[in-house]
Amino acid sequence: MRTLGKLFGAALLTIVALLLTAPGASAESTLDKILSAKKIRVAIDVANPPFGVLDKNGQPDGSDVAVARQLAKDLGAEIEFVQVPSTGRIPALLAGRADVTIASISVTTDRAKAVMYCNPNGALSITIFAPQTVKIKVPADLVGKRVGITRATLEEATVPKMAPEGTKIVWFDDLASTVQALLSGQVDAAAMTAFAEKTVADANPAKHLENKLLVTTAFYGPIVRHDDFELRQWINTWIFINTQNGTLAAIYKKYTGIDLPPLPIF
Amino acid sequence: MHYAFHFNVVWDHWHDLAEGAWLTVRLSALAMVIGLVVATACAYAKAAGPSPLRWTIAAYVEAIRNTPFLVQIFIIYFSLPALGISVGANEAALAAMVVNFGAYGTEILRAGIESITHGQIDAARALGLTRLQTFRYVILFPALKTVFPALASQFILLMLASSVVSAISAVELTAVTNSLQSTTFRPFEFYFVVTGIYLLMALGFRAVFGGIYWIVFMRRQRS
Repeated sequence: MRTLGKLFGAALLTIVALLLTAPGASAESTLDKILSAKKIRVAIDVANPPFGVLDKNGQPDGSDVAVARQLAKDLGAEIEFVQVPSTGRIPALLAGRADVTIASISVTTDRAKAVMYCNPNGALSITIFAPQTVKIKVPADLVGKRVGITRATLEEATVPKMAPEGTKIVWFDDLASTVQALLSGQVDAAAMTAFAEKTVADANPAKHLENKLLVTTAFYGPIVRHDDFELRQWINTWIFINTQNGTLAAIYKKYTGIDLPPLPIF
Repeated sequence: MHYAFHFNVVWDHWHDLAEGAWLTVRLSALAMVIGLVVATACAYAKAAGPSPLRWTIAAYVEAIRNTPFLVQIFIIYFSLPALGISVGANEAALAAMVVNFGAYGTEILRAGIESITHGQIDAARALGLTRLQTFRYVILFPALKTVFPALASQFILLMLASSVVSAISAVELTAVTNSLQSTTFRPFEFYFVVTGIYLLMALGFRAVFGGIYWIVFMRRQRS
């Protein structure tokens, strides 16, 4: 038993030592690595129209993807897309699978505990929508209704707080499942970005889907790992330049159809 | 990789994890019991039923064994409302697991049934046992004993595969973990701990099956 205890202790120490020494020891920043390898790995979510989608040829497209491509071009780096579901946007970054996530991640104080935000590069609204026949006019109407939301999204952070007690909130792992649940009648209503809502409503005219309630409006921006200050500062500089020259506004308008609101900085 | 582990976050949410694990256990155990009934009925019909029935069962077994579980779950969950059947996510998950385990169980039982030599069945008939009695005492019971380890393994696989029913909003262990990691932003801590919980559940079920095997097959043999 004592030998076993010693062995366990030794194993534990080895693991701790590995965790402490191995990675952090290198002085090269993520930005240095990107510049020397001439390659940047960007995590994107291609199941979130109009920010990230797959085009007819199966290639990533959408406003986030356009922003990422332009950013990589100006950085002089080849882009490698890391496709993740909404739940994987932060884990992919933390696990070191990507250098930056550009996937319309709205700024929240909770998320900032895990990752570092760059300045916002766009804005979105979360709304609740449902077929015409479902009567929802005020939040109190949600009582007893099944409302679908997607995990790891702004709706997950906001809808449970605004929904009155008695609302049946149903969680899905990705937006596609949430949409499918609404279309098949497994939920009465669903919450998502106003843009996604428009895409879904336009694609399914027979369902007579309509906007019911505004949940919140938020700004979103790229995220990097804590400590990656050099990369964050470069991205902030890039956002500043491309706000000034109108590139960000043009991309936003092209994919969302509306004008980009003035972007705050922090 | 620069990452500070905060396992206390996991401990703060142990109650949610326990509830998720409990649903996983209940879903798996129920699916196993009902699935075994389905599998036995199918195996009997496949061995002794009329040929249209045998073909139908063969088609069912092949369709389920050659398509992904996730797709089966989506089809059941999203298509049932179109047929006018309203089911919740848990019921849909259970139905999918029963259908899935039923198909694999049928195939495993078939192997056991084929291991019974024809002489035994002839002997049973000669002793005056009815068709059903022959099936129960001479075919099914020894066949179950032979394939019990395979059935137990298949059940463990089913329990582990139940992790994908979070996709249709059933709030089992993986769904709870996905929610917790996405709201606490502590993915590694939660996934490490949950891997351990699945391992413990699998080992626990294995022990239970060992016990069942001993009580049902070994003890009876001794007396």
